[in-house]
This record gives sequence, C-alpha cells and structure tokens, in this order.
Amino acid sequence: MATQQTVDPKLAQSDIPRSLSDRPFAMRALIQSQRFMLNKPLGGFGVFLIFLVVFGALFADLIQRYDPETLFSQGNPKFDPEIAARAETDPNVKLQYPSEIWQKGDQPLRAEGPSSGHWLGTDTLGRDLYSRIVHGTRTAMTVGLGAAIIAVLAGVLIGLATAFFGGLVDFIGQRFVDTFQAFPPLIILLLFNQVVAEPNVWVNTISLGIVGIANIVRIVRSSVLAAREEVYVLAANTIGASDARIMLRHILPNIMAPIIVIFTSSIGLYILAEATLAFLGLGDPVRPSWGKMVEEGRRLGPAAPLMALFVGGALALAVLGFNLAGDALRDVLDPRLRGRGGRTGF
Amino acid sequence: MRVYLIRRVLINIPVIWLVATLVFIATSVLPGDFVVTRIASSDPTSTDPAAKEKQIHAIREELGLNDAIGVRYVKYLGKLLRGDLGQSFVTKRSALDALKDGLPYTIQLSIMAMIIGLVTSIPIGIISAIRQDSILDYILRIFSILALAAPPFWVATIFALYITRWGWWEIPVASQPLFFDDPIASIKLFAIPAVVGGLASGAGVMRLLRSQMLEVLRQDYVRTAWAKGMRERVVISRHVLKNALVPVVTVLGLTVAGLLSGNVVLENIFGIPGVGRRIVFAITARDVPVIQSFVVIIATFVVFVNLGVDLLYGVLDPRIRFS
Repeated sequence: MATQQTVDPKLAQSDIPRSLSDRPFAMRALIQSQRFMLNKPLGGFGVFLIFLVVFGALFADLIQRYDPETLFSQGNPKFDPEIAARAETDPNVKLQYPSEIWQKGDQPLRAEGPSSGHWLGTDTLGRDLYSRIVHGTRTAMTVGLGAAIIAVLAGVLIGLATAFFGGLVDFIGQRFVDTFQAFPPLIILLLFNQVVAEPNVWVNTISLGIVGIANIVRIVRSSVLAAREEVYVLAANTIGASDARIMLRHILPNIMAPIIVIFTSSIGLYILAEATLAFLGLGDPVRPSWGKMVEEGRRLGPAAPLMALFVGGALALAVLGFNLAGDALRDVLDPRLRGRGGRTGF
Repeated sequence: MRVYLIRRVLINIPVIWLVATLVFIATSVLPGDFVVTRIASSDPTSTDPAAKEKQIHAIREELGLNDAIGVRYVKYLGKLLRGDLGQSFVTKRSALDALKDGLPYTIQLSIMAMIIGLVTSIPIGIISAIRQDSILDYILRIFSILALAAPPFWVATIFALYITRWGWWEIPVASQPLFFDDPIASIKLFAIPAVVGGLASGAGVMRLLRSQMLEVLRQDYVRTAWAKGMRERVVISRHVLKNALVPVVTVLGLTVAGLLSGNVVLENIFGIPGVGRRIVFAITARDVPVIQSFVVIIATFVVFVNLGVDLLYGVLDPRIRFS
C-alpha cells in the first residue's frame, strides 16, 4: 500500500529554502564561492592573485604612483662648482676632468634600488618601476584574455563541428590539428611577427590565439565525442531537433566544464608566452611589457639584478594565480576528474 | 599491428605536406626579401636605381625567386619529395648544414635538460604520491607548482645575474665550449639553461605522475599486491609505476620533441649557437630555404615521435590493442 507523502503545509508555505537551488542567484553564487575558498585554499589564493592582476589592469591609472613614462633625474652629485668656475676661464680644465664634474646637468636616476620615493626602484631610463609594473598588467591581461578568447571561441566551434559531424570533416580537421601541433609554435609566432610590418599588442594577441586553437580543438573534440553518445542527444534527435540546435543547446552546455577550465589556465599560458616574445624583442615596442622589462633588467648586468627580479616576480605571480585557479576549477567542475585520488592537485 | 602501423605512417604524409605548404605560404608572404636586404646592406652608396634594379633582378633570377608563386611551390614540393632541401641563401651551402652546425649544442642541452628533468620529476612524483598529504608531499607539490609558473627566461636570467654577482663561476659565453672540447667549461655554460629547461619541462611531469599514481594506488590489483605481502618497493615499481607511466610517456615524448627543436629563449640568453638560435637568424635574414627545411624536419620528427609514443603504449600496457 502506497503511503501518501504528506508535506507539512506550514513548511511548504514557509520561505525557508530547502536546498541551494531554491535560493536567489546572488546568494547561490556567494555560497558557492565561499565553499570554493574553504575547500580549495590554494585555488582561493589563485583567485586572489587573479583579482590583483585584473584590478591592476583596470585601475592602473589610479594605483600608479607616477606616470610610467616620466623620466626621473637627480642632481649631479659629482658636480664641483669650484672646478666649473675655473673651467669658465681655463679651457684646459675641461680636458682634465670628466664632463660631469664641470657640467651641472641632471643625471637620470638609472637603475636605482628601492627607496621611499620609488618603492621598487627605477628602470634603465630612470622611470618608476612600480608604476611600470602596474601598467604592465594591462598588456599582460589584454594579450592573455584576448588570445584565450580567440583560441577558445575558434577551438570550440571547430571542435564541436568536426566531432559532431565525424567522417571526412573530422578526418580533415584532425589533420589540421596534427599540423599545428607538429609546427614549432615559436616559429609560427616569429613568422607572424615578421609578416606584419609593425608588430603591436594585437598582432601578438591574434597570433597567440591562433597557435592555441589546435590544443582547444583536441580537448573539445574528445568531450563532444563522449557527449554525442548520450541519451539526451538521441532524444533531441528523435524529436527532430536540427544539428545546430543539438550542438549548441544540448551538447555545448554539457561540455562547458572542461572549456571553462582550459580557458582559465590558458590565460596564464598566454601571459607567459607574451612575456617570452617580448623578452626576445618581439613584443609591442611602445607599451610597458613584463617580458621586455626583464630583458632590460638583464642588460643592466649583475650590478643591478633587482629590476629583473621584481618584474619577473610579478609575472610569475600572475601566471601562478591562473594556474592555481585553473587547477581548483578542474577539481570542482570537471566531473570526470572529481574525487579522483582525493584532493588531486590541491 | 602491421596494418595499424602502415595506416599511421600514411596518415602522417598529409600532415607533413600541410606543414610544408604552410611554411611555404608563410615565408612567401614575408615582407622584404633576402636579395633586397642583402643588396641594400652590401652597397649602400650605390645611387643608380636602374643598375641596382638590374642587379637585384639578376640575383633573384639565380635564386629562382622570379618565378610565379605557383611555379615556385611546385618546384619546392618536387625538390622536397626527392629529399633536396635547397641551399641557404646566405652561405650557399646546403640548408641542412646550418642546422647540422647547431645540432651538437642543442643535443647537449637537450640531453642535460632531459636528465635533470627526469631525475627530479620521476622521484618527486612518486614520493609525493606515496606520501600523500604529508608535509613532504606539500613541499614537493608547492615546488612543482612554482616551477610550472615561473617563466624559464626569468629564472635563467636571475640565476645568471646572481651567479656572476656573487662570483660563483664565470659563464664562458664567448668561447661556447662543447662537452667533448672542454668538459668543465662546457658544464659551466650549460648548467643553468639545463637546470632551468629541465625543471620547466619536468614540473608538468611531476604533477601528472603524482595524480596518475594516486589513481593507480587505489586499484584492486594494488591492494592484492599489498595483501600478498610484497615489499613496498616491488608494489610501487612493478604494479603502480608501470601502470601510471602510460600518460606520462606522452608528455615525455612531446618534451623530447620540443627540446630538440631548440630552446630559442635559453640559447639566446646564454649565447649558445644551437638550432633555436640559428632559426631566429634565418628568419630575420629571410633565409627561406633554411626556415623551410628546419620546420619540415622538426615537424616530421614530432610526428614520428608521436607515433613512437603510441607504439610504446602497447609495451607499457599490453591491454592496449592497436586497431
């Protein structure tokens, strides 16, 4: 005899939410992120680092201490007024002493160490290093985010279509993926940079995005191949849904987890790649870029290693943030990896 | 098995053809060409534009650059099929020679980096998996995460700057000795790039190996092995490690391929005249045959390394059948 389930009318009427999904969206997001921070402390640290970088990129003009292009200079400490006065009358003095002793001109504040005026010191030309690092986040985030968006959009479209239709389309798509994976990536980037007369930040963004497509296609394809066999796809097919509808409304939402994960961690990769290109002298010649600044610090030589140390530290922290967040997201979102071997990868 | 092998090799042919076509297109749309830059730099005082034009035309004719792009493409593919990679515009020697000269340096760097990568990543992966959630595990994991995030060019720069600053040793950037010429000087030069390159490529392996080991450690056959009273060393090496290695081998294969294509960044910092450095020179000098042959050779190599990796799967895990 079936027992009728009785719901306490008072409880049914009350506003007490019984599960997370009953709560309003903002509340749900808040609780989810609190759980994320508690379960994945390192992932939370990664999110914090990402927040710092994004904040720096958005409000660089507010948190800079000086304009990043201002050249700072100091009074000339070697200047000797007595010799200068003698040099006015006696031309031999000018030959006798180096010019900075009898010329009063200000000297640029080159490669100074940290001080209260310049928290991280100054760079090769005497610009405030802290302000330049802050402005470097803009370049890093522009390229990182831009390249990741290009690669993920194109990669998802291509991966979805080739895996869904299969057959010859898939075969050709796979060969293109193989081609791009066999082509040395740095060579593509170098060639790209040389094809365009004036390389700038957008050229690098687009070329990095294109280089990244093949990898995304591979990941999306394997997810689609698994999702294609699911019953809901068969059901959608049975009621006469079009191919585009099945792909975009049924398969795509179900493979979002790996896509979000790869999107997050690839931003860090692209930031690293941009800095590497800039280090090799292929970056945007105008904007402050972390890679270029490390190279400038390297040119200062062993006498002033701090500049390279600080700039590269900022770069490493930014990449670390995206890596940590990507790892934690993978554990939380990707059901195929969830619970595998306990707390894998933090 | 034989059918599988033949099919895989056949599939690689269109891939190599696509790579060859792609690099041909890329090098033919490069602005400015070798001849123009060379003439401009060799004779900057020449004021007669007509004579200059004639000279440029003659050299282009000699190098076969005056043909239509379609004709050049067909000639290029035809030569490639016969195994002829063309002549370097700069040295007039075979395009392969430029790469051959760089290869000893790149091979030495790759071998050293590979050894350091393996020696650190495999034990670290194993230890942090079998001592999961211990203090040691946390330290090793943090190390691997940091190694993955730190940009190699930065770490190498910092190492080089501080080693010179503290006077630990002189880096012989000018003489560029190979190991067989002068072992000690050579190690002084290659030590930093090898450690940095090895750790950078080993960091991924550490993390992958750890998560694979953790998964295998929970399998029934591992519990059986423990129950039989086998020693830890045997369980870990025979039962766990062997099964955890399959995906690790893929990553290692790609790493080998990546290392041999020359580490442009590290070679540049330390002035090592390896393959990576030569290819950058070739690109800036518009030495098209060298660029093309380099890309085609590397791509062929990568494709066959991948094939080798897939075949190795069968050895490591006999359950994997090729079909």
